[in-house]
Amino acid sequence: MREPNAIDFWRGLALVTIFVNHIPGNTFERYTYSQYGISDAAELFVFLAGWSIGIATRGRDGTPEPRLKTVLRLLSRTIEVYRAQITTMAIALAMIAGTALLLDNPLLLEWHNAGGFFADPIQTMVGFVLLTHQLGFFNILPLYVVLLGIAPVFVLLARVSRVAALGLSFALYACSLVFEWNIPSWPGEGDWFFDPFCWQLLLVLGFVAQDWNRRSAWMRLWSTRLVPLGIVLVITGIVLSVWEIRPDPLMVPEPRLIFTFDKTYLSPARLIHFLGVLLAFQTLYAVLAPRLGPVVGYLAGLGRNSLAVFSVGSILSLAGQLVRFWTGGGVFVDLFVVGSGLFALGFTAWFVEWRSRKPRSSSPPV
Amino acid sequence: MALPQASILFAAGVMLAASAAWAQGVATVVSPPKPPDGAEALDLTLSPECRVPGSKLYTLAKLQAVKLALKDKRPVRVLAVGSSSAGLGASATYPVKLETALERSLPEVDVVVESRGMQGEIASGAAERLRNMVAEVEPDLVIWQVGTHDALARVDLDAFGSALDDTVKWIKSHAIDVVLVNPLYTASLADDEYYTSIVRKVQEVATREGVPLVQRYEAMRFLSARSEKGEGHMLGSQFRLNDLGLRCMAEHVTRAITLSLLQPDPASTGSSGTPAVVIVPPKDAAMKAASPPPPSTEP
Repeated sequence: MREPNAIDFWRGLALVTIFVNHIPGNTFERYTYSQYGISDAAELFVFLAGWSIGIATRGRDGTPEPRLKTVLRLLSRTIEVYRAQITTMAIALAMIAGTALLLDNPLLLEWHNAGGFFADPIQTMVGFVLLTHQLGFFNILPLYVVLLGIAPVFVLLARVSRVAALGLSFALYACSLVFEWNIPSWPGEGDWFFDPFCWQLLLVLGFVAQDWNRRSAWMRLWSTRLVPLGIVLVITGIVLSVWEIRPDPLMVPEPRLIFTFDKTYLSPARLIHFLGVLLAFQTLYAVLAPRLGPVVGYLAGLGRNSLAVFSVGSILSLAGQLVRFWTGGGVFVDLFVVGSGLFALGFTAWFVEWRSRKPRSSSPPV
Repeated sequence: MALPQASILFAAGVMLAASAAWAQGVATVVSPPKPPDGAEALDLTLSPECRVPGSKLYTLAKLQAVKLALKDKRPVRVLAVGSSSAGLGASATYPVKLETALERSLPEVDVVVESRGMQGEIASGAAERLRNMVAEVEPDLVIWQVGTHDALARVDLDAFGSALDDTVKWIKSHAIDVVLVNPLYTASLADDEYYTSIVRKVQEVATREGVPLVQRYEAMRFLSARSEKGEGHMLGSQFRLNDLGLRCMAEHVTRAITLSLLQPDPASTGSSGTPAVVIVPPKDAAMKAASPPPPSTEP
């Protein structure tokens, strides 16, 4: 198992933040950094996913692995993520339906976007498997499936020219903002909650940044010099979000998505804010790591096993929502829900690593 | 299984042309001129399974933007937002039914319904999301089923109320009409004080902002009193009521909109000589004669 490092640490923090934020209305929500900025943990999560692809597709000395191996590696990861999405969605729908039956309360069937599944199962079942029907909060993994699916194009292109990969990615992002390209939801109207054509930019940025950071002293120098700029952006984000200052989407000029604060399309304001966060916090891990003790190990453990932790976290945050609704909420319920959730996330990470350490016995006789 | 019953009811709901004529007949023949014991007559323009008295169903207010669209003879764009608003596909879902019911109620008018579901946002987050949806669709009318997710998340009442109020104000400030729909009624939440305050809060905001409200909660409570069969837990009487509520919602919303369009303009600008009554289907005339004066806005 690899030692705690900055990437795993921040990814762990993003996972914890996503878990807490996916129990809307809970007391601890206001203590997550998402409440104090224009961008949130989703940006961090996708960016670090790109960074990790950079690490995974190269040897320790930085030589890229064979192309076919990279393609197969990404394909295999895509399948894993798809499987996780299908499993967690199925469990979530059963939890919602089961709780509605148990509490004799059909209100729960209208839980974020689940209504369609229960009212219209024939179409929705198909949409469920095609990933075009997504429950609220269960919409990150579909994005991730698409991103990993198209990642080989960018990864292989970047081996020829990083600038070309970044250019292609940015062009796709800009076009999607201007022409509002997105994958449609089906059944139901509207589009994906996370637009893959826009969010791919963060993945590619993560991937390219990892490479540049590794080999370009110039890049490292400038990223340190720009720390003050990052801090200014972070402070601006705090001010804007605390006072809820944001552009009126009906007042801004066309194309509107360039100017609004829109999560679906990763609008430029969110992107710039996230880059500011990145600049401001890039060196923080080195400062924090010696001082946080076991927290570092805990968060890095979550980050190392991000898919399993994320999946379990999605289920647990839904369970947390149901418990809060059933009991009526309150600080103590929130403390219990979030506390036991954080413990369960830690256990998940430990359990996954224990399973992979355990030597597999050859298949036992049935 | 109440399948035969359900299919009959469904047929009744769909065959509105026949049903409207039938309802008209009933209105003149069956219903008493004055309801007994002060009980209010059912709104007979609704299909039989969905009938509730007008005061249980809506509070009315003017819909200027829709009226303007009707006057200009351009299609009316409607944005339906809320928990039952996703799931377009089967012909029986709420957005499809809404479009059909509105077009039936406003003959010769093209109504385009766009529906969107919230994806986890509550309170001010939902407000922000809604603004982006409105900017994307640019509707004449927003029909917002609101309160369900906030109730599920046990959002602070005042935070919910002020976010809703701000958003309704914002929509109105852009000369777009709003109709609010409050959350559903179910027996297990009838005594939940928090839940009923969320329902009341929606009503409060609608009254304060002068926008029509469809009282889904009251309508379903009325329907539940009629159809109580006392079946046990897990067997689904509440779930059947919920299905009925979903089937009736489009009709109920349409009724509130049609009657809101009939609201007289207080400040008649004079330029528009003919009132908007032109758009009203004939069946309303019969109904108006039979039913009591417009319902009060008080619960």
